[in-house]
Amino acid sequence: MKVRDLQHAVLPETSAEQRSRQEAVVALRRLLNTRVRPRNVEAFASEAQPAFIAAYGRAPQSPEEVQRAFLLSPSYRRWSAANRAAQEMIWVSVGEPIYRDLDRMRAAARALVTAPDRKGSLNLDPDYDPSAEVADVDIHLQPGGYAMDRGEDDVVAGALYECGGNVFSFGQGIGRADSKAGVVIRLLDERFGGLRPQRILDIGCSAGAASAAYAAHYPDAEVHAVDIGGAMLRYAHARAESLGVGVHFHQMDASAMTFADGSFDLVVSHNLMHEIGEAKRRAMMREARRLVRPGGVVIHQDVAIRDQPTIVHQVERDWDTHFNGEVHWSTYATADLRADMRAAGFAADEIVEHDLAAVQGFAGNRWYAISARKPA
Amino acid sequence: MTTTSAEALTALILSARGVRPQSLANAEAEEVLNIALALLIELSVSNDRIDRLERMVAALRDEPVSALRDVRYDGEAAQERQEAMEALLARVLRIMLDPRVQPPAAAAS
Repeated sequence: MKVRDLQHAVLPETSAEQRSRQEAVVALRRLLNTRVRPRNVEAFASEAQPAFIAAYGRAPQSPEEVQRAFLLSPSYRRWSAANRAAQEMIWVSVGEPIYRDLDRMRAAARALVTAPDRKGSLNLDPDYDPSAEVADVDIHLQPGGYAMDRGEDDVVAGALYECGGNVFSFGQGIGRADSKAGVVIRLLDERFGGLRPQRILDIGCSAGAASAAYAAHYPDAEVHAVDIGGAMLRYAHARAESLGVGVHFHQMDASAMTFADGSFDLVVSHNLMHEIGEAKRRAMMREARRLVRPGGVVIHQDVAIRDQPTIVHQVERDWDTHFNGEVHWSTYATADLRADMRAAGFAADEIVEHDLAAVQGFAGNRWYAISARKPA
Repeated sequence: MTTTSAEALTALILSARGVRPQSLANAEAEEVLNIALALLIELSVSNDRIDRLERMVAALRDEPVSALRDVRYDGEAAQERQEAMEALLARVLRIMLDPRVQPPAAAAS
């Protein structure tokens, strides 16, 4: 199943003018990413470092000093200002049609999630207070953040995530046919003997694109998905039902899930590690190992920003921490995830890190993953 | 009741949280850059609308859209277009043409 650019009943209806605006933002971001951003490292050598030396009498050493030096470069500052503006315009371009069409979207979602022939379920926990380290931040500047819930039937957070994610991804060079679930399914075929999971858990599912893709690819499997926000999960459930697949969505914290030990054949997380802090990430990894059955597989997939060749590249890549609300970006990029997997209970020889080609994309996009199989 | 575009944009803008970090050395320059980039997007939206209309007119005239666009102005029409273009430049670049330049000391105070 395609996961991006899909048509379903809970998406906002958009006019030709609104689509033009989104396409223009995609084009602007693509230009900034492919033609302007690549000059940043060069600007460090030609502008940032000389300015830092002039100011402090020595070259920058620590990541903090490299960051300070970058901000002395006019070229970097211009790109940074334009990139921030472009990121904000993503949300303007998708938010306007969402808020305008919200009454219809809410009604469509309500009809889908209460339909007698629905295939999945929605399990919200009114006593759960969404984890502040995620809920209190507008991650990647999504207005209101992942956990924004404006009450009964609200679906705004999910709609913003899916629609904004499409505009972001296409501007990043990620292909319309790319799929993080597709990357994991390919990995299962190539590295795990074509495992055919019967029970799948998707941790940090957001709008449920990967969860629905697993349900479509493994029609006999029971797919469960977890996230923190009610409006995000309402949207995800309605989206899955509209696409004709069954997924059971749960409002839970990734660090303390209520499923029984060993109850899944496959436990995945997609782009979750960079959205949570160190302690929660380690707890989430422990939970993933607890929940996978003996012989089952855990795969945590995320953005390929680790292993930068120099500290300058690393700090340049860390722009998102300072300007894009990605407060855990650097923590993830520099984490010893092998050690975390060992601490979660996997033996060193069970853990494999993967540098994965995207299913489709024009800019050589890649994904990172770390996996382990629990001994049978 | 229908939600207008302005109401939708206001709802979106008011839901954003956090402090907006500045990249440029000058906050006013960063605001102007943001406005210019937003206008760039809106110009692209308008260009798309013109394109749609051109294609519609070409279809109504049963001619290729390239023929519709292949207009070469001459005579009075060329003069009108030239004057309109110069007026546009004067409007957009007015600040560069304005002789009332403030001395640096007054600007800083």
